[in-house]
Amino acid sequence: MDLTGGFGARSGGGGPCREATGLESLHIGDEFRQLVTTLPPENAGSFTALLELPPTQAVELLHFTDTSSSQPAVTGIGGDIAPPLHSFGTLTFPSNPVLMERAARFSVIATEQQNGNVSGETTTSSSANLDRVKTEPAETESSQRLTSDQAVENQSPCPSQNNRSGKRKEFEKKVKSSTKKNKSSEENEKLPYVHVRARRGQATDSHSLAERARREKINARMKLLQELVPGCDKIQGTALVLDEIINHVQSLQRQVEMLSMRLAAVNPRIDFNLDTILASENGSLMDGSFNGTAMQLAWPHQVIETEQSYHHRQLQPPPPQPQQWPFDGLNQPAWGREEDQDHGNDHNNLMAVSENLMAGSANLHPNQVKMEL
Amino acid sequence: MASQDKSINTDVPEKDVFALHFLQSLSNLKTQNPSNSPDKTNDRVKKIKMAAYVSMARAAGGRRLWSRALLRRAASENNKIVRFPRRKRRVTWLSRRRCNRRAPVEEKAADRLRDLVPGGGEMETSKLMKETAHYIKCLSMQVKVMQCLVDGLSPK
Repeated sequence: MDLTGGFGARSGGGGPCREATGLESLHIGDEFRQLVTTLPPENAGSFTALLELPPTQAVELLHFTDTSSSQPAVTGIGGDIAPPLHSFGTLTFPSNPVLMERAARFSVIATEQQNGNVSGETTTSSSANLDRVKTEPAETESSQRLTSDQAVENQSPCPSQNNRSGKRKEFEKKVKSSTKKNKSSEENEKLPYVHVRARRGQATDSHSLAERARREKINARMKLLQELVPGCDKIQGTALVLDEIINHVQSLQRQVEMLSMRLAAVNPRIDFNLDTILASENGSLMDGSFNGTAMQLAWPHQVIETEQSYHHRQLQPPPPQPQQWPFDGLNQPAWGREEDQDHGNDHNNLMAVSENLMAGSANLHPNQVKMEL
Repeated sequence: MASQDKSINTDVPEKDVFALHFLQSLSNLKTQNPSNSPDKTNDRVKKIKMAAYVSMARAAGGRRLWSRALLRRAASENNKIVRFPRRKRRVTWLSRRRCNRRAPVEEKAADRLRDLVPGGGEMETSKLMKETAHYIKCLSMQVKVMQCLVDGLSPK
């Protein structure tokens, strides 16, 4: 537990262990004395006397739950103690120990009503201290050290009942201090805001931010993928969606394999019909896009047109008309140049071969081609 | 098409460019291997598949990582050297993968996806998602076109 070590080092008390909670609380009492040296001395005496109660009494005090009897009296007390609640310039410190005890009781009960468990109490008390530090920036450095120490202690887990009673005692002390500073329990209503802020503050370091940005990016793209894959919209959970996507990709690849097998199976008919298909294909392409420089403008129209041609071909295969071969001397070099620009050196061979093929098939008579194939 | 990359590669992969490339490479196959010996059917299937993938990658253009990887793979099978201009520094995913052990299920699934998408081994997860989206689009387009071809070519 280097947290408690850090606490001991910072408080300069020679490192009190977690087991010696009594000593620790005494130590914090010393700190409180340091803190309130600006206050009148009889104040300090009264609250340190309350601080040094035995743990069992403190626990009894904390478990006092008779709210109906204490609450009206406490509201009266609150009216007595702090008529100007938020004017910290005019601090008036009550010197009546009974009064202060009642106020402490009330605030403890209020926090217990807000959140029942011990951890909630400690966090709210720590954030109350933080709030106090925030709203009172003119406080001494020792008080800030005190609040940081308490925050450190509240972060550390409490393993035993002994520790818990010690924690309760500390908490009572903090409540005392807050009442001392004329902070009534209405300050605790700001606590959820402070708590959320603390949680957000934990994730504002650069690594967490980067990680969150990465996750959001992945999620957005996952949503995009989910729209692409059919039947994937209703699935919740990233892993399931990824499984579905993987299945889809695998099925598509399998389909491609199957289709290529079928294409290989219709081998002779490919040779028979290829020229005609090429002719129709190139005819539509040439008509639509490869005519001039307005290729980019004519692109969507082109897509629609070829889709229509696909449907047409699916319905009735086009008659063999190789005489309508659209390649001529003007178009072909332009085509080759374009392809060279696009795909780089590696496609030169393929494109050259295909050009040769096209030129050859254009020059050859279709019957000759059929005979040859 | 290098001037058209933006208009082409954004949404819909073009069917006609793919079909053109594919038919050309099919006829190319025909002229290269005119022998119709039946023992070469497996080889032929493989070649047709490769032709389909290569023409899909070519139709997608050279800006997508998966198409580059496909073309590179095809070229390495053909013992050619392909050089694409590298725009980005390549991040080896293995070095990044050690940092991300938070969601092991998702990362495992992403690894499987990485095996499926060509060139996916070098991508980080968000890039992989993007590339997978485009790859799925192109694959479905390819399947449609090949289905059309088979339907048109098969004997009635």
